[in-house]
Amino acid sequence: MAVRSSGGHDDEICPLELCAHQADVEKRRETVGKLSEAMASLDKGGVLAAVKEGIAAKRDPVEMIEEARKGLEIAGEEFERGNFFLMELMRAAQIFKAAAALIDPVIKECHGDTQVKGKVLIGTVAGDVHDLGKGIVATLLQCGGFDVIDLGVDVSEAAFVAKIQENSPHVVGMSGLLTTSIPVMKSTVTAIEKAGLREKVKVIVGGGVVGEVDTSSIGVDHATSNASEGIRIIEGWISNSES
Amino acid sequence: MHAAWNLEKADRVPVAPINCYIIPYLAGLSIREMFYEPEKLIQATVDCLDILGDFVDPNITTFDHLSIIGKSGWDQATLDWRIWDDFPPKGNIPSFYEKCTLNDYDDAMESGFATILYNNKLKEVFDRSLEDMLYYEFEYKKAYADAWRKFVAEHEIPLLMGGRVCHPLDLLQYYRGLDQLTEDIFERPDKVKEMSEFLLDYELMRGMEDAMIMGAGEVPGAETVFFVNGGPPGMSKSIFDEFFWPYAKRAVDILVDRGFKVYCHWDNDLTHCLETIKGITERLPKGKVLIDFEKTNMKKAKEALGGRVCIYGNVPSSLLVYGTPEEVDAYCKQLIEDCAEGGGYILGTECEVPWDSKRENVRAIVEAASKYGQYA
Repeated sequence: MAVRSSGGHDDEICPLELCAHQADVEKRRETVGKLSEAMASLDKGGVLAAVKEGIAAKRDPVEMIEEARKGLEIAGEEFERGNFFLMELMRAAQIFKAAAALIDPVIKECHGDTQVKGKVLIGTVAGDVHDLGKGIVATLLQCGGFDVIDLGVDVSEAAFVAKIQENSPHVVGMSGLLTTSIPVMKSTVTAIEKAGLREKVKVIVGGGVVGEVDTSSIGVDHATSNASEGIRIIEGWISNSES
Repeated sequence: MHAAWNLEKADRVPVAPINCYIIPYLAGLSIREMFYEPEKLIQATVDCLDILGDFVDPNITTFDHLSIIGKSGWDQATLDWRIWDDFPPKGNIPSFYEKCTLNDYDDAMESGFATILYNNKLKEVFDRSLEDMLYYEFEYKKAYADAWRKFVAEHEIPLLMGGRVCHPLDLLQYYRGLDQLTEDIFERPDKVKEMSEFLLDYELMRGMEDAMIMGAGEVPGAETVFFVNGGPPGMSKSIFDEFFWPYAKRAVDILVDRGFKVYCHWDNDLTHCLETIKGITERLPKGKVLIDFEKTNMKKAKEALGGRVCIYGNVPSSLLVYGTPEEVDAYCKQLIEDCAEGGGYILGTECEVPWDSKRENVRAIVEAASKYGQYA
C-alpha cells in the first residue's frame, strides 16, 4: 500500500521508501516488549536477539535500554517477592550488562554520552573483607544507570571521608557481613559528620547482619539486608532530590 | 547428643553451641597462638568449660579452621586468605578476599591443583616455603591430633569432628567468585558438573584422611566428618536440585558407607529446598547424619525432616552479640517448641558463637535447654 506524505502532492509520493519506513516501524513494534519479557525470564539468547533485531530495525536505543532495565526491575520485584533467588537476580544483571554492551555504542552514536541518574559511593567497612553483597549492589546500581564508585573492601573511615570529598556522591553505601561491622559503620558515619559532609549525602548500610540488628542508633538514613530494596530506596532518594 | 542423632529423646533437649574463636578470645590467646600452639588452645578450652555453662560439650570447630594455618590446606591455600595474628582491634578473624583464582576448568582437571596453588594472584599471600607447607599439611596435624586425644581422654568430652569436607559448589564459589559461578551455571552447566565430580573425590579423600589422623574409631567424635557449607547463597530450588544435591547426597552416602558420621553444616536459608533434603538419609542407617542449619526455618525443617534426620540450630549470631539474655531465652524457647517434640533436635547456634558474643547470652542458650527442654 502506498502512503502519501502529509503534503498530499502526487509528485511527492514515494511508495517504496514509505513502505520500507512502515516496515521498519512494524519491525520496531515487534521488538517492543520482547526485550523486557526475555530479561525477566532470564533468557539471554532472547534478550540479545531482541536487541540485535531492535538495532537492525533502528529502534531508539535509549528506549531499548530502558526496556531492558524494566526487565531487570521485574527480576528485582520477583526477588523481593521471594520468587527469584539471589543467583537469578545476579543472572538478570549479567544479561542486562550483555545487552547494554550492544546498546551503549548505539546510544553514544545517536545521543552522545548517556546521562547518569546519580552518583553512589560504595564500600565494605574497615575490618571486613566481604565483597559479595557490596558487589551485587554495585552491579545492580550500574545496571540501573547510576555512576558507582566502588571503594572495595576493608575501607577505612578516612578513605570514605576522602572519597566523599573527592567525588561528591549523592549516596554513600556501606556494607558489612560481620557482627563487628556495625560499630565500624557507626564510627564511619561519625567521621563523615566530623568532616562536615553528613548533610550532603544520604547514607545507606547493608549486609547480612544489618537486617537483623537495630541500626537506629548508628546514624544512617536506611539499613537493609536486601539488595533489591536498597536499590529501590536509593532510586527514591535520587528522584526526590530531582523533583 | 547421641540420642538426638538417633532421633530419640534424651532426658532433655541437648544443647551444643559451636565454638571457635570465642574460646581463645575469652582465654586471652591471640589467633596466632590458637592456630600454632594446640596445647594453649586446649588449656583455653578447659578454662572455658565453665564459661559456657555447666561443663557442656564445648563443641570446638578449630579443626575445621586448621587448614588455614601457614596456608597449609590445599583448598584454603588456593584462596586469598587474610590471617591476622590478633583479635580486633589489632587484627581480625581470618577472612578471604573473593577473587577468581580458577580460570580454566579443563586445565585444573588436567593438571590438578598445581595451577591454582601457584596462581600469581595469590603471590602476595602465598609466601610459605615448601618445607612449611609439607610440615603443616602432614606433620602438624599429627601433633594437633595428639594434643586433642589427651584432652578427650582427660575430660571425657568427644570431639565435634575429625575431618572436614567442603561441598564442590562451595569450593567453586570460592575459586570462581559468585558472579562468575552464576554465569558458569547458566552457560556452562556441564563443565560445573564435571568439575564438581573432580572436587568431590578430592574432598572426600582429604576429609576421611583427616578424620583418621584425629583418631576415628578410637577417639570419640573423630569419626564425624564436618560437611560444609550448604552451597553458595541464593540458589533457587532448581539450581540446588541440579548442582548441589546430587553431590551432597553422594558425599553423605560415601562417608556413611565407610563408617563415618556426617555433620552437615549448611549455611544460608534452605527452607525452599527441604522437600529435596528429605532424601538425605534414604537407604542409610539411623544415627549417622545431622544437619546444622543457619538461616533455614527450623519449624519447617522439623516438619519436613522430623523422624528422618537430626536437626541442629539456630540461635542468630546477631542476637548473641547485640541481644539480651531474655531475648536469647525467648528465641530458644520458641526453637524448642518448634523442633524438640519426639527428639532428633539439638539446640545450637546459627554458624558458630561469634567471638564477640556476650557471655551471658551464650549461657542463656544452655539455661533455656534446661528450662524448656525437659522431655517427660
